[in-house]
Amino acid sequence: MRRRTSTTEVMAISEHELTVMTNDLEQIHHDVGMPAMEAAIDEWTERTRSSRRGFLIGAGAVAGSAALVAVGTGGSAAWAGTSSKKTGKLKGDLAVAALAASLENLAVAAYGDVLKAATAGKLGTVPPAVATFATTVKAQHAQHAQAWNSAIVAAGHKAITTTDPVLTPIVVADFKKVKNVVGAAKLALVLEDDAAATYQSAISAVKATSSVKVAASIQPVEMQHAAILNFVLGQYPVPNAFSPLKGARPLTDYTKG
Amino acid sequence: MRGRSTQTPADPEERPIDVDPHAMGDLIEESQDIHHDAMAATAVSLEEMVETGQEARAHGLIDPEESRQVAARRSTMMTGAAFGGGLLAAAGIAGALEALFASPAFAASATDVQILQTASSIEVLAVATYKTALTLPFIGGSAANPVVKAFATTTMQQHMQHLAAFNAAITGLGGKAQNNPDPALQKVVAAAVPGLTSAGPVVALALELEQGAAETYVADVAALSDANAKKVTASIMGVEAQHASVLLAVQALLNANAPQLITLAAGNVANLPAAAGSVGFPDAFYPTDQARPATEGALS
Repeated sequence: MRRRTSTTEVMAISEHELTVMTNDLEQIHHDVGMPAMEAAIDEWTERTRSSRRGFLIGAGAVAGSAALVAVGTGGSAAWAGTSSKKTGKLKGDLAVAALAASLENLAVAAYGDVLKAATAGKLGTVPPAVATFATTVKAQHAQHAQAWNSAIVAAGHKAITTTDPVLTPIVVADFKKVKNVVGAAKLALVLEDDAAATYQSAISAVKATSSVKVAASIQPVEMQHAAILNFVLGQYPVPNAFSPLKGARPLTDYTKG
Repeated sequence: MRGRSTQTPADPEERPIDVDPHAMGDLIEESQDIHHDAMAATAVSLEEMVETGQEARAHGLIDPEESRQVAARRSTMMTGAAFGGGLLAAAGIAGALEALFASPAFAASATDVQILQTASSIEVLAVATYKTALTLPFIGGSAANPVVKAFATTTMQQHMQHLAAFNAAITGLGGKAQNNPDPALQKVVAAAVPGLTSAGPVVALALELEQGAAETYVADVAALSDANAKKVTASIMGVEAQHASVLLAVQALLNANAPQLITLAAGNVANLPAAAGSVGFPDAFYPTDQARPATEGALS
């Protein structure tokens, strides 16, 4: 094993090489991962447009329903979303999409607040890798939310911009207790585990193949987020041979919202 | 704190590069406890498959037209026939999809069996590859990084469990268990073995296998007809993606000549370069361009 004369030197070289590698991988992502998911969304969208009344097993909205309002009151506008928008209750696959979008919105809000707290110095010393992780993962969750919302909007409904109404107050309360990076990572791990379990559950819940494709393209990514968080926490990164369903959010999170 | 060395010398060069093996053992044991809980859902799906499969066969619920639809559905999951220039690119897949289309009227369950047999064949190869890797001194010997060794050992065991699950699903649907390796990938691995002279090539080979497995299963969940086969596959695909994630991180640190950072010691994150925070999940949406053809590992 080759050793270097100082930690600084090791990190400087690592930083450069890893950044190059990351850039390469991001390029691959745009070349490969995104088009595949977009194809599924396009398939979903096209079929929805061609059968507005219900490609997604009853995609029609129930009139008169209230907006999906996040109940978080954590003092951050991000948690509450835009409750002024009215969104009819959705059914079938679209309801699952709405639940998924609200979970993704919650993740975006949570990572956003973690980054704000870190910037404000409220989490103590924040390692560069943690900052990169939070920034990158937040962006990926935003892409996930956008994917689900693109299908919802294509079906003639308003995008889900609020956070999961049942999980939000729990996360907000937990976030108030976070005092350092370890606490933030533990909270993030719960969110990622729950999201992955929800998608795994959704794969069996949705009817359209295109819906399955979207859920299946996101679940492994949430699992990867969890693996890296476990690594950050000094825990074994792949604790299960089979990913559990524990923590999967029920559809009632959306229907009760 | 688990996995943390008892003392951290001021000089970075003197810092231990590995975690306490006993602490690693504790971590693995704890993970296995969690795993047993996770396994419960998969086991239920397998039991339901056996019951459903027996019932379906008893009632002759095989629909040739449905079979054709299933085959077509699987083909639409294949977003590309190439392997993006990776090691697996050398594995020929030409003709696999063609064979699927040309075949007369698969029953839906028969198509599911083929998909699952291919999955089993991938798992057989993964187990064999990790087993071979663990015979190498820098992976499974005294010269190995304990985290890498533990990962190879645990991952091999997890693939053995995946193999058992897929084969149980196959037999539940009335098919024959597949215990032979994917023939196309086996050639790729065989060609790579002579070059496994350090940790880097081993990690690269394992990464190709894990990525291919994960992408195959992502494609499979949309192609499978049987609900429980879908559940079993869905419970495995993310785990392979996690294996790939870990390998990406390890590979990056090896390439950066920073193997001492491959450790689960608490506080190690402070030493990691910023880019390490994102190298393990390059795609916001998991791709399927490296998914193996559905029939590649199917028994004739």
